[in-house]
Amino acid sequence: MPDFSLFEKTSSYQGIYMTLMVNRIQMLYFAIIMPVFLIYPYMIWMIIIVGILSQISIFMLSKWFNSMYASKGYEGFVEIFGERMVRLLAFFGIGFILLKVIVIILGYIEVAQQFIFPSVNTNWMLLFILLICWYVASLGMANTIRFIVIAFLCTAWMLLLLLKFPFQPFATIHDLFPLIPYEWTMKSWKGVLFIWSAFSGPEYLVLLAPWFNKREKILKYMTIGNAFTIFEYLYLFIASLFFFGSHYLGENKLPVMEMIRYLQSPVFERIDIILISVYLFHFVFAISIFLLLFYGATRITFKKSKDQTTRLGFALCCAIFFICIMMSNELLWEKAANQNILLELEIWAGALTYLFVPLILFISLKRKGRS
Amino acid sequence: MKHKHTKILLVIFVNMIVLSGCSPIKEKNLIEEIAPVTFWSIQKGEDENFRMSTLIPPLVKEKKRLLNVQVDLLKEGMKGFNLKYYRELKVGQLRMLLISEEIAKEGISPLIDTILTDPDISKRLYLAVVRGNFDEYINNQLKMQEDLDYYLYRMFKHYDNQGKLTIINLHQFMKTLHSPAHSPVVPVFEASEENFQYLGTGIFKNDKLIEATNNMEEQIYQLIDNDHFLKYFAIRDLSIVLGHVKANVHLNMDNTYSELKLNVQLNGRLDEIAREHKLLTRDELSRFESEIELYLEKQTTKFLKKLQKNNVDPLQLRKYTLRPFSKPLNGREWSNRWERMEVKVDYDLKIQPLTDTKN
Repeated sequence: MPDFSLFEKTSSYQGIYMTLMVNRIQMLYFAIIMPVFLIYPYMIWMIIIVGILSQISIFMLSKWFNSMYASKGYEGFVEIFGERMVRLLAFFGIGFILLKVIVIILGYIEVAQQFIFPSVNTNWMLLFILLICWYVASLGMANTIRFIVIAFLCTAWMLLLLLKFPFQPFATIHDLFPLIPYEWTMKSWKGVLFIWSAFSGPEYLVLLAPWFNKREKILKYMTIGNAFTIFEYLYLFIASLFFFGSHYLGENKLPVMEMIRYLQSPVFERIDIILISVYLFHFVFAISIFLLLFYGATRITFKKSKDQTTRLGFALCCAIFFICIMMSNELLWEKAANQNILLELEIWAGALTYLFVPLILFISLKRKGRS
Repeated sequence: MKHKHTKILLVIFVNMIVLSGCSPIKEKNLIEEIAPVTFWSIQKGEDENFRMSTLIPPLVKEKKRLLNVQVDLLKEGMKGFNLKYYRELKVGQLRMLLISEEIAKEGISPLIDTILTDPDISKRLYLAVVRGNFDEYINNQLKMQEDLDYYLYRMFKHYDNQGKLTIINLHQFMKTLHSPAHSPVVPVFEASEENFQYLGTGIFKNDKLIEATNNMEEQIYQLIDNDHFLKYFAIRDLSIVLGHVKANVHLNMDNTYSELKLNVQLNGRLDEIAREHKLLTRDELSRFESEIELYLEKQTTKFLKKLQKNNVDPLQLRKYTLRPFSKPLNGREWSNRWERMEVKVDYDLKIQPLTDTKN
């Protein structure tokens, strides 16, 4: 029986993988519910502004990628923070990873339940999705990263479908007016926070640094990914404004899915079913990455990072993962998107990690460089 | 090798479970056992709130027939159908919702909300208001025309997005209902024993039907708002029919929103003329044109005045107050202004004269 090594560094990937990963990891569940939180047309500018701010975080992250510590992986972190601190950070990281995964997986299941299987118990769907992720993740980190190409090719083209909406007879340019805010409420601030949180995700990629080619200009590739995300969010938001109009937009729970549902092809009437299923590739990729990170973080926390990875340990991690998600599905996940405590938490958590992780890495790098 | 065997065994095992019907999916859609209906007609019930009826599609060899139930709640009706009929009704193919005029006048948002919450029902569902007894018409026509419901759907689909008739689907209705003008439109049909015909555009205020346009208003509405095209524009008072009329509409509102200038350029052909005329000379033609212009200006002003009186805005004129960098009016401000707005209508007609006529 061959060794079961999940974190083996067999190949170093090129920057293009980084572009795809930055982009896809920013386009997870939040892209689906984004229009509900933005509503007002002036949020178009906010997407652009926050997108540019996100570029600052990307810049700080790229500094980490270019540093000598990045390619060492765990040892690199230990050199900077000390072992105790790394273990503590890993412990907190487990919580953040778990929260993120819970939100995206339960969010996806909610969509699937709403549009495809209204009468299926959500725990079954959860189990099946996690089984797929378990399989993908058990092929190792290197293969999972390679999976991004499939995930990207499966989902990125869907944008083209939305091209139709600005040209519908009921869509007028007046749906985009007024373009500047005349009142700025708590809700608008929340929209900004939401956008920032939606752009989060790339901070987890620093943990994957050892698998990437260090000599390449990583900043360029990350910037392209981030820019594509800004474009996608803008495009989605403008399309949904044309489709719903600003006043009706807030009434819908899953506006992007409703838009896809409105499309019809002469062959398949319900293309939304096909598209939602294909979207699973995207989610499976993200969840598998997070599953591996979860396993890695658990090992670091328990001081096992030098040992060989084992099937049993990984399976155990998956089981814990499943149980945690199932419990929050049963207890905490409210079906109404606006009062969902987990979603609220994740909006804050995503925003915080995306602000502080790059900042901390950048500052500690500068300090190390000076001393 | 051992590893491979376990994989194969696992696949076989999972397939066995799924194939034997032990799937977690509760709903079964065996084609012989379901009845996907294409429309619902909702009328006022005698004792209960609603009387719902639908045509059962003939998936197996049987005659089509009309089913109806009396219920208080819409979804109760769904259940009622299932208790009455041996196949289970499915709403995934629901294409039309016909609502009787009495219900429309009382408000349709409870009905619409129920329809909206059902993920099986597409937002492309066509809405229509029916005056008269639709059930009677169906029962009468079923003997003559089997696939009545299907042809009705094809008619809706044909006129969707091409003007001539107002055709509205659920999504469009909801979008205009939520916009601050709150004046959606829905086509009104008239059903009698023999006939089912298009009457005009029903104008709603919030979710209540206010009125239906009459013949002239309907044609003006089509030209000004709905795709700006009419194949036949019959003006009975002047005994003429204009053909292939295309309208170019310019709306102008001044900054204080006290005056609306509506400028309509019409291009068309003279299709029919049923009175004494001498149109071949340029002078005669332009005199004739200005006569029509004057008439249309009068009619349009009358139509707009009527809308103002009812305080409805089916033409969505409010959207012209929206500008990229100025504060929008809210719903109430707009309706106050709209009521008192002065309307100036100007038509500019260009007709190609009749050719091949003797005079």
